[in-house]
Amino acid sequence: MALARVEKPRPDTASAAAPEFSFRRYLEDLERDSPADVIHVKQAINPSAFEATAVLQRLEECNRYPLVMFDRPLALNGKPSAFPLVSNVYATRERCARALGLRPEQAYQALGMEYARREERRIAPVVIDQSAAQVRNVVRRGEQVDLRELPIVRHHRMDGGPYVDMTPVMRDPDSGAYNIAFLRNQYKGPRKLGIHMSPRHNWQIARKYEEAGRPTPVAIVVGHHPAFYIGALNVSAFGEDDYEVVGSIAGQPLRLTPSETWGADFLVPADAEMIIEGEIAPGVREAEGPFGEFPGTYGPQRVRWVINVTAVTHRRDAMYQDIFVGHRDNWVLGAFPKEGSIFNRIKGVVPTVKAVHLPTSGVGRFHCYISIDKKVDGESKQAALIALGACDFVKHVIVVDSDVDVFREEEVLWAIATRVQADQDVDIIRNVKGATLDPSQTDDILTAKMIIDATRPVRRPFEVRIDVPRDVVARTDLEKLIGREQLARIGL
Amino acid sequence: MARIFWVVCPGCKERFYAHYEDFRHKPWKLRCPFCELEFAQEESPRIDE
Repeated sequence: MALARVEKPRPDTASAAAPEFSFRRYLEDLERDSPADVIHVKQAINPSAFEATAVLQRLEECNRYPLVMFDRPLALNGKPSAFPLVSNVYATRERCARALGLRPEQAYQALGMEYARREERRIAPVVIDQSAAQVRNVVRRGEQVDLRELPIVRHHRMDGGPYVDMTPVMRDPDSGAYNIAFLRNQYKGPRKLGIHMSPRHNWQIARKYEEAGRPTPVAIVVGHHPAFYIGALNVSAFGEDDYEVVGSIAGQPLRLTPSETWGADFLVPADAEMIIEGEIAPGVREAEGPFGEFPGTYGPQRVRWVINVTAVTHRRDAMYQDIFVGHRDNWVLGAFPKEGSIFNRIKGVVPTVKAVHLPTSGVGRFHCYISIDKKVDGESKQAALIALGACDFVKHVIVVDSDVDVFREEEVLWAIATRVQADQDVDIIRNVKGATLDPSQTDDILTAKMIIDATRPVRRPFEVRIDVPRDVVARTDLEKLIGREQLARIGL
Repeated sequence: MARIFWVVCPGCKERFYAHYEDFRHKPWKLRCPFCELEFAQEESPRIDE
């Protein structure tokens, strides 16, 4: 089985006018436009001794979620790393909105909607020469590679070691389509990583190679414009090319270049900060983990695959990007791209759907709040079933009326409190494919799903919400009545 | 989540857990996340399952 040749990408002719699609450009813009969003840690810290995540934890305990750049991290070899470490990029929806070219005030329903709109398009990538690809400013191959030069992060106390936790790219040997996914990669040696895969798209690709007795090519993208990673979280079907989806989410063709290891048979993002290339050896397994995972619990130690690293390429002054897994950085990023997809699927059947939210209280995946302008009874359950079918992460669906703001959790819980009778409005669906990392599951694959219909019934009279007359509220001038000084005292 | 079992490292005595179907009663060596010791599960002073 040979790697399929690339057909779809075209030579780079039109992208000269497009804005630079790079992580550094995003950071420059963010620091200029929203300096409160960026914190620099100028002191030396050791990321492999929890000193990076300890900073993020302290900030989290103060309910603060800035992007944090560690200017002087130590590498795994204990020496100052040449690569600044950046984390917490995705910890606010506002920064994610900026990544897609939206305004911060569009960070809620509009963000999911815009993602959904873009996800329906495809923008083919373009291919540039290796000589023009900044990610190849520095190329290290074979014995020249030493992962100990990187500021690889050890995140949580029981983690099996430092982990690279950005996105491996794999290529389906049958269709040639590329798949991008966030997967954990444990440092195991200067040219060796462990990799954990759940039975999803990259797992299917690796299984095909392994069944043919061939190594699986893999390229880990360790830093790129945030829209690259946001685009990678689409829920398109297996066989869809994620490079095309990323282009559509970013609003411009993704620039690719031949990899160092496989040349034009495996293209990698040309504007990334760093690429780690390697091959998953067929039939080889080792102990991997535990690892602090997205639910905020440790995934157990597993018997998992091994990547033999073949090359590392990077920009001359590359930055090393990391995700604070199991925290807002991970939860926000996992939420809104799915919100858009779920919204689109529901809208085809329940056209009055108003909004979809995967809140951080459900780790951006397990809880799904849907608001609809219900016209007939039963629509709420139909919408819920579509959400459950559209994304196997979603476990608990709560459907509310359109007078409830799904982005205000207190309102959703109010709707449950006042519009739900548990014996009539709660449904449990057993033995559905779930998420292997959900600690509550009693089976490796199967889970139970729950639908809470917190909408008002259509076919019988129902009490309405209390409300102060809107016209009076609208004409009430707080500054005039209370005074600027008192308003400032309460933070207004 | 699949079934897990807690194990005590025979070297540093710290506890961690592993995937039951992957490891329990199988020849794979466990690797302590705290001291990096690789050991057979029979060497563990305590296993909770």
